[in-house]
Amino acid sequence: MKRIALTIVATFLMSMVFAQNAKMPDNITLKTLDGRTVESSVIQNDGKPIIVSFWATWCKPCNRELNTIKEVYEDWQAETGVKLVAISIDDARSASRVKPHVDGNGWEYEVYIDQNQDFKRAMNVVNVPHTFIINGKGEIVWQHTSFVEGSEEELIELVKKVAKGEEI
Amino acid sequence: MKKLIKLFAVALLLLNFQFPISNIKAQGILGGHVTGNIQFDGQISRQDSVIGASDVPEKFLSNTRADILYTNGDFSAGLRFEAYLNPLLGFNSQYTGQGIANYFVSYKTQDFAITAGHFYEQFGNGMTLRAYEDRYLGLDNAIRGLNVMYHPWKGVTLKGVIGQQRYYWDTRGMVRGIDAEVTLNDIIKRWNESKTRLTLGGSFVSKYEEDETVLSDINGYKLNLPKNVGATSVRMDLSHGGFGLQAEYAYKGQDPTVINDYIYKSGNAAWISASYSQKGMSANIQAKRVDNMGFKSVRSEGGEMLYINYTPAISKQHTYAFLSMYPYATQVTGELGLQGDFMYKFKKETLLGGKYGTDLHINASLITGLDTTRIGGKGTDGYTSTLFGTGDTYYGDVSVEIAKKLSAKLKLTATYGYVVFNPIVGGHGGDLHHNHVAIADLTWKINRKNVLRFEAEWMGSDSKYDPEDDDKRAGDWIMGLVEYNFTSKWFVSVSDQYAYQDGVGNYYNISVGYTQKATRLQLGYGKQREGIICIGGVCRQVPASNGLTFSLTTSF
Repeated sequence: MKRIALTIVATFLMSMVFAQNAKMPDNITLKTLDGRTVESSVIQNDGKPIIVSFWATWCKPCNRELNTIKEVYEDWQAETGVKLVAISIDDARSASRVKPHVDGNGWEYEVYIDQNQDFKRAMNVVNVPHTFIINGKGEIVWQHTSFVEGSEEELIELVKKVAKGEEI
Repeated sequence: MKKLIKLFAVALLLLNFQFPISNIKAQGILGGHVTGNIQFDGQISRQDSVIGASDVPEKFLSNTRADILYTNGDFSAGLRFEAYLNPLLGFNSQYTGQGIANYFVSYKTQDFAITAGHFYEQFGNGMTLRAYEDRYLGLDNAIRGLNVMYHPWKGVTLKGVIGQQRYYWDTRGMVRGIDAEVTLNDIIKRWNESKTRLTLGGSFVSKYEEDETVLSDINGYKLNLPKNVGATSVRMDLSHGGFGLQAEYAYKGQDPTVINDYIYKSGNAAWISASYSQKGMSANIQAKRVDNMGFKSVRSEGGEMLYINYTPAISKQHTYAFLSMYPYATQVTGELGLQGDFMYKFKKETLLGGKYGTDLHINASLITGLDTTRIGGKGTDGYTSTLFGTGDTYYGDVSVEIAKKLSAKLKLTATYGYVVFNPIVGGHGGDLHHNHVAIADLTWKINRKNVLRFEAEWMGSDSKYDPEDDDKRAGDWIMGLVEYNFTSKWFVSVSDQYAYQDGVGNYYNISVGYTQKATRLQLGYGKQREGIICIGGVCRQVPASNGLTFSLTTSF
């Protein structure tokens, strides 16, 4: 009896050991900048890599990250086909400022608002900024918290590998 | 029986090999994924009455938290372990202890979701209901119960909740609520492609609590306390291209509680936000009026816990030390607020834009009390208020921020701010504080791997430190910070805040951090003021402390 229980537990543990990259959840409710309700399954890029960046209007390093990438975003897109999706965790205090903030900064990213922070919890984000690379199969292949100037160059090197289907 | 179990185990094993785990769609019983995050914060604290770090007999304080999330297709389940041995400074001592603080199972498809256990939820802007957490503030009012969401048609969302609220290691109160939201463009065919988008919503939330004995101020009789109290709200979100208009109005029935001193006046809150934006330019204006809108599930609870609703401050959340020295929190008993934001990007190769362009950000806000006339104390309607009349000034600020890339390697952000703060809001006495703040924030990217950041701040105030009142923010202050980052992995930062006139305190701090992917380790020594700290590329809220701090976070 005990042995059977052990076998089951061991199998379960093995399955965890062999478990590969988790998929990005596709059933989390988000809001678009024009107030529509959508599911996180809208985050798609035709099999090409996606950068998912959690940020907030009040977070300086987040703004530095998104502003820094803005300057090279066109080149990145041309080279790798990558798409950046920015997830705002602003709550009711600042959520209505997200669209003005995005436009005012001239960001051309796809932006969603995660006001109830369901997506933040589902993706295990503790602090912002927190950046993920999602491969063409929708799997989370890399994540990083914090931003300093220069990190964007590491990020694109990784995206290039992911775009080629290489392991990182 | 034994045979059956054996068979079951073999079947499981086979299933597991049959359907590789990496394939989440396999939906095998053992398939799915486990993810999570762990956070540990520790302090070896020394008492420092000057900065408000209290005596710590146990010498070492720590908060630990681990979230484990299991996901398998549409099914997910989670557990959270928390330990406060003993809680960090700034956290309520009632957190002391350890155990499973949060657990849930959830099934969610595109149209339907059901969660049993602990959940977080928000109706509209949260004016009637918002169950949320802020782990750094020690706030968690998760509801434990049942949460259901359903989209009967595209563009229509219905939600229902019932449960009790978390109260440290216990649950209290009883909360029931429903919410409906309709995006008209999705249900009216003619409007499908319209540039004008309109979403309407409404909610009703009620709490139930047993009777208790509270005596009236008028005649000393026991008050007839309502057992059920309801709150309702309506809201809209209208957008047309770059224009946006959002508004919400909430009303609450008679709700005598300790936070309004057991008066029978009904409560209400109104909020409106209008904005216009185009690429490189935006303007936003918000107004809010809150009148007796504190809504808690337990009427005798005076602290931070058990709020059912959320009425956020509309002032801008500043993150530089001296601008955020006076964090404003909504006075739920009554306030009137106005806030404006303006952003403009001077284009490259223009007079003000220079080679790389220049960003300008202006913000202003003013929050005052209501114009009220007192009627009486416990058991009466309390007071009357005029609609637009203003009372005492609570908070006001104006800030101008200019961000400019000076060269390929240098970026400068210069900020000027003027802050008016009423010490009453922070529980202190005395006159209004009027502060001028100037900040320079310079980032020097030496090369791809080495980045230096300098921050200099100055605050000139008309306030003076008064030992009796003990408001540690009073006086004139200067601050310097140097931060060195080696790749995205290492950072060292040294900072000092010093009251050079009319104040007390010298907050020196040195921090070292290491980040590897989603794991971050940080060690700090020195004195820290309570507030938001943004160093080493992340922002987080910290309590007042003196001594050694250690922090580890990881996500997997």
